[in-house]
Formats: sequence, C-alpha cells, structure tokens
Amino acid sequence: MLQIINTERIGKNVLNAISHLKGTYGLFINSIKNISALKIAPVRMVAYRQLYFTGLEALSKVAIIGALIGIVIITQVTNIVGLNALLIGKILLWTVVRELGPLFAAIIIIARSCTAVASELGSMKVNREVDSLRIMGIDPLDYLIVPRIVGITVSVFILTFYFQIIAIAGGLALSSVLIDIPFLQHLRGIFSALSLFEIGISLLKSAVFGMIISTVACYHGFRVQLSITEIPQVTTIAVMQSLFLVFIFDGIITLISFL
Amino acid sequence: MIKLENITVENLSSVSFEIKESSVCKIITSSDYQKRIFLNTILALQKPAEGRVFLFGKDINSISEKESFEIFRKIGMVWREGGLISNLKVWENITLPIWYHMGKGAEDFEEMVLDIFKEMGKDISELSAYMKKLPGPLPVHEKRLIGMARAILMDPDLMIYDSLFEGLNFQMAERLVRLTTNFHSEKPGRSSVYISSDEQSLKDVKADIVLKHFGKGYTT
Repeated sequence: MLQIINTERIGKNVLNAISHLKGTYGLFINSIKNISALKIAPVRMVAYRQLYFTGLEALSKVAIIGALIGIVIITQVTNIVGLNALLIGKILLWTVVRELGPLFAAIIIIARSCTAVASELGSMKVNREVDSLRIMGIDPLDYLIVPRIVGITVSVFILTFYFQIIAIAGGLALSSVLIDIPFLQHLRGIFSALSLFEIGISLLKSAVFGMIISTVACYHGFRVQLSITEIPQVTTIAVMQSLFLVFIFDGIITLISFL
Repeated sequence: MIKLENITVENLSSVSFEIKESSVCKIITSSDYQKRIFLNTILALQKPAEGRVFLFGKDINSISEKESFEIFRKIGMVWREGGLISNLKVWENITLPIWYHMGKGAEDFEEMVLDIFKEMGKDISELSAYMKKLPGPLPVHEKRLIGMARAILMDPDLMIYDSLFEGLNFQMAERLVRLTTNFHSEKPGRSSVYISSDEQSLKDVKADIVLKHFGKGYTT
C-alpha cells in the first residue's frame, strides 16, 4: 500500500530541527558569555566589517524597498479610508512600525547576510582556516562568531529604524507627488498616533531578529565539515530556519505586547 | 615539547616518540594523508583512538579548549597551503596573531616583516602592493611564505614546518633552509620540526632526530 505520510521521515526531520535549535541556542549562550572578546582589537575590526557589509551596504536596497512599500500601503489605505489623516497614520503605524519594518529589514538581511555568513564560515571550515585560527591560539568563537552576531544584530536594529522612516516619510512624499495626498497633514496624523511603546516594541523585535539571523547563520556555517557540497545545503537550511524563527518570534512578541 | 605515547589513529599504529627542547627534527611520512593524520593528531584536531599526546608537558586532549589555546600560542605552524584567512589581506594575515595576542599595531612590525621578506628573497619595491592583496589568487608556495612570516613574528618556542620546501626552486629552498636554521638558533630552547612526505625536499635540513616510515609499533 502506498504510504502517503512517511512518519519515519517526519520524525527524523523533527529531531533534526530540535537538534539544530539546541545547537543554535548553545552557540548564542556561549557567544553572550564571550562578548568581552570585543575588547580585542582584531575582533572589533571583524565586527566593524560585518556592520559595513550588513548595515551600510544594504542601506540603498532597504531605502528602495521601504519607499515602494510605503507608496503601496498609503495608496491602498487612501483608497479605502479616503483622506482621513489620523486613520491613515494609525494604519501606517500598525503595518509599517509594528510589523513590516522589523520583518522586511529581517528578510532583507536574511537574503543578503545570512546566506553570506553561512557560506563564508562554511568555506573557512572546508579550507581549514578555522583550524589555522585555533593553532594560532585564537578562539574561533571569539574571532568569527561573536563579532558577526554583534555586527548583524546592530545592523538589523539600525536598518529597521531606517526602513520605517523611509517607508513612512518617503512613501508619503512620493504618494503626495503621484496621487495628490497632503503630505504634512498625513505626517502630522502619523506623529499623533506614534508612541514610544510602538517604537520600543519594533526595536525589540529588530534586536531579537538580528540575534536569531546571525546565530542561525553562524551555527549552520560552522556545521560544515570537509566537503564543499555541504555549503549550499547548510546555507539553504540557515535561510529557512531564520525565516521560520523570525516569523515565530514576531508572532510571540506581537501577542505578548498587544494583547 | 612534543611527546606521543602509543598513539593509534587511522593509518598510524602504536607510535611513540619525544621531541625535546632545542631539537631539530625531520619527520618523513609515507604519504600526504599520513602526514595530515599525524599533524591533526599532534595539534589536537583529531583525537587518537588510543594513546596520549603531550604538548609542552600537557595532555592536549584532556585539557580545556582555553588551556589548549594558551599552548598553541607557543607554536608557530607553517601549513603547506599557508593556512591563511581568505578574507584578510596579506598584511592583515601576517599581523593577525601578534595583533590579537599582544595588541601591538601594524607599524611596530613593518621593519621586522621587511627583514623576513628580504631574507626570503622578495623584491622589496613590490612589497607594498603585495601586502594589500588577498591571498586567494597567490600560488601555494607564496601562501606558505606568508604563513611562515606570520609564525616567525610570534617568536614561538616550537616551529612546525609542513612541507615547507615542496614546489620551491633550488635557490629559494636553500634560502629558506638558511632562514629557518638561523631562526631556530635565535631563541634558546626553541625546537623545529620539519614534516613532509617528500624525503628529498628535506635533504638539506640538518636534524638531530629523523623519524620516517611509520608503521605498527613504531618507537624511537
């Protein structure tokens, strides 16, 4: 009889996922314990480089996507509620500040940096660069993992804020040119609906997403053993696991904060 | 400095020997694979099935990772492929361990690095551009020389040269024999280990201990 549900395979996948989650959690805890490694100048240099590649180099992409998302939301909302500035402001806050800002920034970083970090660390393992670091007396956790986690987390944090500003201000500015929406009136509506709590929650989300993406990417990159063919495999798993965890934690934080 | 007690791992079986302070040792393995297993074992990258490995008097497989990093700081390892970090430029690769461990800036070592490359026979006028390159496209023997400069800067108590002379022309090999011999005698107590699967490439090295053709029950 044809077996439609392969329970053995499902069980194996679940066990794998649990083992990866445990490994990722362990790596994160160890990295937090070793955070003082940032006092060492070459470690700080790696963190700055990560900040540059993940944060600075992504600014233009985030700006374009942010502005486009802003236009789409403002156009749709204006079509539904008319020119009610306060309501448009609230809807923009609900969508852009609470949800889309942290999520889109996280997705952009997953697409750009999660893949880059997982494959870079994987290649370093295959080329025995990690062994070479050990034999130089340099802890790979301190030199490779800690600065990447810090660099990516700070980048997601900053990019989220940047995305939100561009999506709201840029979206409103472009919409006011394209569909004759009163720019200042709507901006005032948004500011009147904005609270520190909203900003705090969105920045908390971005920090959590940054830690998730960076730790998952580092964990899977470090799982590579000897073969170069493992690199695309771990990169794919890192991307999927980051996406899952980001959405799960987004749901959890939203539930806890707005219920 | 290095002591192996009845090591059995993959194609090495019951190997025992000791390399003491101030020794120059040549190790000739039967294949590149055996050499890799041997190096992995003495550098704690691979745990032996049986036996114990002592580095500087400590059982390297029973101490914590942090303690092992302290021991590795005393070792200068020159890998056959260079062991360079691919996303760092040549200069950053050379100064990485000394900057990491001693916090000294690059300017403190310019003269020293210049002297090392002069002795290696490098054209000094091209050195500035050379230092800014990423190591990826460089030939493997160039990467090995960069790895050697990096190890020399750390002034280690134990130098391990993995296939140092392989693929080099006669003049270059001769120059490196002279350089490593001088470097060996610069620090009292320093030991140097040359390891290769190509016996011919080590013929000019004058060693106190020669180990070759590992087999079952090999002891020296």
